[in-house]
Amino acid sequence: MIKRSLILLFCGCLLFACGNEKTTEVVEKLKSVTPKKPYRWVDDIKNDPEIDDPSFELCYSDFTVKQYFNIGDETSYEGERPAIYRFFEENYAPVETDQSGFIRVRFIVNCKGETGRFRVISSDENFEEMEFDPAIVDQLVSITKSMDGWKILPDPDIPTDYYQYLIFKIEKGKILEILP
Amino acid sequence: MKRIFTLLFLTSLASLALAQVNCDAYKYMGDTLKYEACKEAEKRAGHYQFSYEYQHALDNAIEIDSTFSNAYKYKSTAYLKAGNFLEFMKLMDKAVELDPEQHLIYRGWCRFQFFRDYKGAIQDIELLDSLADYDIGFGQNGFYHLQTTRALCYKKLGQPAKAISILETKLKDPEFFYGPYFNTHLGVLYLDQKSYSKAEKSLLKQQEENDLAENRYYLAKVYQAQGRKAEAKENLEVAKEKYVSGMRFIDPYGPQVDKIYMEDIEKALANLD
Repeated sequence: MIKRSLILLFCGCLLFACGNEKTTEVVEKLKSVTPKKPYRWVDDIKNDPEIDDPSFELCYSDFTVKQYFNIGDETSYEGERPAIYRFFEENYAPVETDQSGFIRVRFIVNCKGETGRFRVISSDENFEEMEFDPAIVDQLVSITKSMDGWKILPDPDIPTDYYQYLIFKIEKGKILEILP
Repeated sequence: MKRIFTLLFLTSLASLALAQVNCDAYKYMGDTLKYEACKEAEKRAGHYQFSYEYQHALDNAIEIDSTFSNAYKYKSTAYLKAGNFLEFMKLMDKAVELDPEQHLIYRGWCRFQFFRDYKGAIQDIELLDSLADYDIGFGQNGFYHLQTTRALCYKKLGQPAKAISILETKLKDPEFFYGPYFNTHLGVLYLDQKSYSKAEKSLLKQQEENDLAENRYYLAKVYQAQGRKAEAKENLEVAKEKYVSGMRFIDPYGPQVDKIYMEDIEKALANLD
């Protein structure tokens, strides 16, 4: 009787251990899933340890980040667009230059309302790629990084990570308009 | 009743805008290559515009027939929504190069609404108007006729008289359907020109047809300028209620011209006191 119980106990432990091992294995596999395609969505921003703030983390996977308009209004910022304009009016110093065109700063807002993974593209007024004076771009990126009013957006009930961008229409070093 | 017709019209417009190209049309015209490209492009159905699968189907379509202009346009939308003007314009320039009459409407509208490229939007709309012997129609979201868009571009470029002239000309056209925000924009233009009675008339017309926070806010501005403080205050209070209840200019992708925010209403109320 004791012998049979010991055998059953041993088998039970073995099955339990195997089950745990199997579960861990599945979780690890899920974490390391990389879709067999070049990208998930166009313009996805991957973490780049060389340029990205290591303290910024997504709440979920890279493969669940939404676009701002999937879950929010045009600009989900405390105080809405007037607050964004005011923030740049107060912090951006116009640069004396002949450069005009468009600069987009795109980034991710995580489920806690924190921002990271900032990326920049820029063009002249005809949408031809053009690099702006760093005095302009660095300011815009730095000010965008310091904005702390991005709203936490639920999808539909659980706060999620989302892509947001700001496009600056620049005329001779001055900000003419901010979109969206 | 009028509102129902407006909604029905806009729904029809949206349906038209989203309608798929009938690939068989290419077959009947004897263009088998474009037919094959079109069929390949149909494989994007059911996939999100941003997804690899959606884009890949269109890349394959272009591979089959690099002159299939719709594929470039379909590809461009995800880039537009991501604010990637570089890729969006490359793709739309190609689409327009291949078929200007079909694609100028989209490029022109997007230049205006997504990038506030007023000069570029005017160029596209005026070129389209010169090519078309029919009504050039509405921008992608179905709310703005391209002539209204053109007028707003001129306004933003500091030519309000030209903007008013375009809108007044369209108003005289009995066939013209002016969309749900037209009278607010016209009213604001008159207000800026200090033509208060005309502004009031347009904004009251807007109120009658599609009463939103914006027309109430600008009507309050008219009354304030005329010294009608009580009416101004009353309209600002209504604007506030409407804003909170979501009866206002709304576009999930970006703000419309003349859109207002709660801060604008509160500042205006404070200025009355």
